[in-house]
Amino acid sequence: MARPIVIDGDLTTRPRLFIRGLMLIGWGLLWMAVFLYAPLVGLGALSAATRGEYGGVEWTLTTANLWRLAGYDELGFSYNNLLILWRSVWLAAVTTGICLALAFPMAFWIANHRPRVRHLLLALVMVPSCVNLVIRTYAWQQLLGGQMPPAWLASQLGLIPPGGALYPSGFAVYLGMVSCMLPFTVLPLYTSIERLDWNLVEAARDLYGGRLRVFRHAIVSQCMPGLIAATILTFIPSLGMFVVPDLLGGAKFMLVGNLIQLQFGSMSDWPFGAAAGVFLIVASLLALVGLRAVSERTEGR
Amino acid sequence: MPSPARPLIALLIAASALSAGESVTAFMYSEYIDPSLVAEFTKRTGYDLKIEVYEAQEDMIAKLQTGGTDQYDVVVATDVIIKQMIALKLVQPLDQQLIPNRANVAKTWLNPPFDANNQYTYPYFWGSVGIMYDTNKVKASPCSWKWVLDPAAAPGPYVLLDEAKTMLGCTLLAMGKDINSVDLAEVRAAKDKLVAAKKGAKCLGFDSGTGGKNKVLAGEAAVAVVFNGDAARAALEKPNLRYEVPVEGGNLWVDVMLVTSKAPNKKGAHALVNFLLDADIAARNANFIHYASPIEAALPKITPEDLKNPAIYPPAAVMSKLLYLQDLGKASKLWDSAWTAVKSE
Amino acid sequence: MRRLAWWIAPATFAGLFLLYVPLAAVAVLSFNATRHGQSWGGFTWDWYVRMAHNQAILEAAWNTLVVGLLSTAIATVLGTLLAVGLARIPWPRWFRRGSDLAINLPVVTPDILLAIALVGAFAVLREWWPVFKPGMITLVVAHTTFQISFVCLVVTSRLVTIPRDQIEAARDLYASRWGLWWRVLLPQLAPGIVAGALLAFTISLDDFVVSFFVTGPDSTTLPILIYASVRRGVTPEIHALSTVIVAATMLAILAVSVIHKRHQPE
Repeated sequence: MARPIVIDGDLTTRPRLFIRGLMLIGWGLLWMAVFLYAPLVGLGALSAATRGEYGGVEWTLTTANLWRLAGYDELGFSYNNLLILWRSVWLAAVTTGICLALAFPMAFWIANHRPRVRHLLLALVMVPSCVNLVIRTYAWQQLLGGQMPPAWLASQLGLIPPGGALYPSGFAVYLGMVSCMLPFTVLPLYTSIERLDWNLVEAARDLYGGRLRVFRHAIVSQCMPGLIAATILTFIPSLGMFVVPDLLGGAKFMLVGNLIQLQFGSMSDWPFGAAAGVFLIVASLLALVGLRAVSERTEGR
Repeated sequence: MPSPARPLIALLIAASALSAGESVTAFMYSEYIDPSLVAEFTKRTGYDLKIEVYEAQEDMIAKLQTGGTDQYDVVVATDVIIKQMIALKLVQPLDQQLIPNRANVAKTWLNPPFDANNQYTYPYFWGSVGIMYDTNKVKASPCSWKWVLDPAAAPGPYVLLDEAKTMLGCTLLAMGKDINSVDLAEVRAAKDKLVAAKKGAKCLGFDSGTGGKNKVLAGEAAVAVVFNGDAARAALEKPNLRYEVPVEGGNLWVDVMLVTSKAPNKKGAHALVNFLLDADIAARNANFIHYASPIEAALPKITPEDLKNPAIYPPAAVMSKLLYLQDLGKASKLWDSAWTAVKSE
Repeated sequence: MRRLAWWIAPATFAGLFLLYVPLAAVAVLSFNATRHGQSWGGFTWDWYVRMAHNQAILEAAWNTLVVGLLSTAIATVLGTLLAVGLARIPWPRWFRRGSDLAINLPVVTPDILLAIALVGAFAVLREWWPVFKPGMITLVVAHTTFQISFVCLVVTSRLVTIPRDQIEAARDLYASRWGLWWRVLLPQLAPGIVAGALLAFTISLDDFVVSFFVTGPDSTTLPILIYASVRRGVTPEIHALSTVIVAATMLAILAVSVIHKRHQPE
């Protein structure tokens, strides 16, 4: 007879509890296992294979793909892959930073309204995402073109040569990225900010002098779960993004997403593509673990 | 499987088999067939024609590799990947008896280097990759790859082609080397040249052929590397835009029709290939698409403006400078590394 | 409503401006008589008319909507169950860590790898169940697979903010587990579930790579159609379509909120 335990006011036994848990999570996990986990394992195996002569897959196992990732390609050793990775990480980090900076005030502003209005405002934030990303990015191309007001203003201010356009440029890329990812930052952040206990914030205001300390200790620590979710949902997809940087940056620099796409595309090197993809997945998972560790540390306070 | 489901599944399979007998599915680039020909095909053969489109070759081949061979009957693909498709067993040999119209094809396009004796393919349209420029902004002559590859000689903002094989091949041509060179030093030199071109102050970056064409059309760029058909269509809108194959040479491409290895409607597939090789049909198609037709018998029926347009039907002198890109087999990795370097340095 | 710092509202409007400026540009372009956007050629409804008669566009729009709604529904249910199950049961640490990583896998995997993985899974499953032929069913299944993670992530972050003693107190009030769910957990979770569902729906609407590989000849979706036409040069018909979609979405949201208001007089 299993030992009874009490959890959340519920009297039950451990095995019964786990069975109940399994009933809840089993469906989702089974679905993912069949359609995702199993084939991903296959892809992991693929990363050890070799490209066949005409783009097929030869199952002669080799570590050549890993060496290639490290930079040892046909032209000798180069830092290219490292540069590609660095650029992708930098793009994702800056985008996430700007998005968070904009998402916090937005979430506060929305949470400050009556409940009925809040839902409307949230939906307002999501509506732009229902227009195809490529269309929106082309719209940015048009808006930042040479004959448009923004470019004219910039040339008046001396920021760009007269008659020049605001794209292709880093500025245009970040504009496009933030415009694309902002809803994904606001939504998760909002779910935490809505539940903010303002009494704690008041108390913190009495205890701490500076606004920054109040923000850090009272607000951020309460919003940690939403903040982490927002960061994950913004940073990770941004890592793999290449459509917006290509369209607004002139496709001059390859990002991780481009590299992987190229292998499954014109280069027909599926094993290397799988290797690069697996590397990206592992790196992202490590970043995730890091973020979770940070959140657990601050929650302890 | 539980017994009530079995008859239902059988019914579904039977239904799909029935409809497969009636329709033919073609997989090709978008806007690559005269829409009126769809109804015409049904009128002549009784089969329904469904057109599925793709925008990038690699998407098409990846789709076929991952089990799409039984979804499509006829596929249109460019010469450079045919060897690959044959090696990967994605296509089946043609039953020549079902294609009597093959006699209509011009001799130049028969027995191509990538498919001996037309075992698997027949040509659909052909064209070239070269340079399109705005004659109002570019006064230099003759048209040369220097305009996009040499920042010092660029007459205005320029756009490079965002296709690895084509751009690298054309750069090799511009340097006077073999378009399919796999020599390490030559490829490295081409890579360096492209990096320098990319870093040029007037470079607007890389874009697809259509993207580059649109930029010139909008006035943002003065020069772009494009496909001749796109350029011809642009010239219709703005006559000051001209397309030329540069003096150093250009890339010749031909799109061909193939039948997939697991085509659900084999007879229908061959009927479609035969239909598109018919002289009248090919002429109608060419007059709509404005690309060059490889069907000799169709030439008399093609609009004279197109026939006289050197962008679509180049004179013999230019034809001799147009070269095929080849599948490099094991050496593909070299070009892959070079292109990655071009895009990261 | 409490008083917020002075810079909150302007910052919010800056963000909203960033989000809506492209939409405004698209709307303006949809009424522009010139095809190539750089100059204004006069006001016209032409593109809307052409779009309304374009069979391919209408069919793709319908497919996209159906797939989006179905997959969002399934993913929301599975994702919410997953989130609740993981948070409320005292799993051992290793299981919690592992499942956390596993659930985040679709968010972390590049689109093209997801596509190849799914296609591989379908190819294998097709041997026994022909229902996995490339088409609407595989589309719905594929979309659901990556949506589950997003829903789970958002719901979990919301779930964590519900204090445990509240649940324990509710347990004392309601004897049944069902009552606990229905009366206490779900209402509190609702904003999180709705947010997760919205997110999932949006991702499905815009997905191109996975959809392209997984779809069959008869089930083209809007993103696939748009990508194809964009490579050829964006036609104003697509701009007209996008504007219609935005207008329709806004109307739908307004309608829902009005109906809601009528059902719950305050």
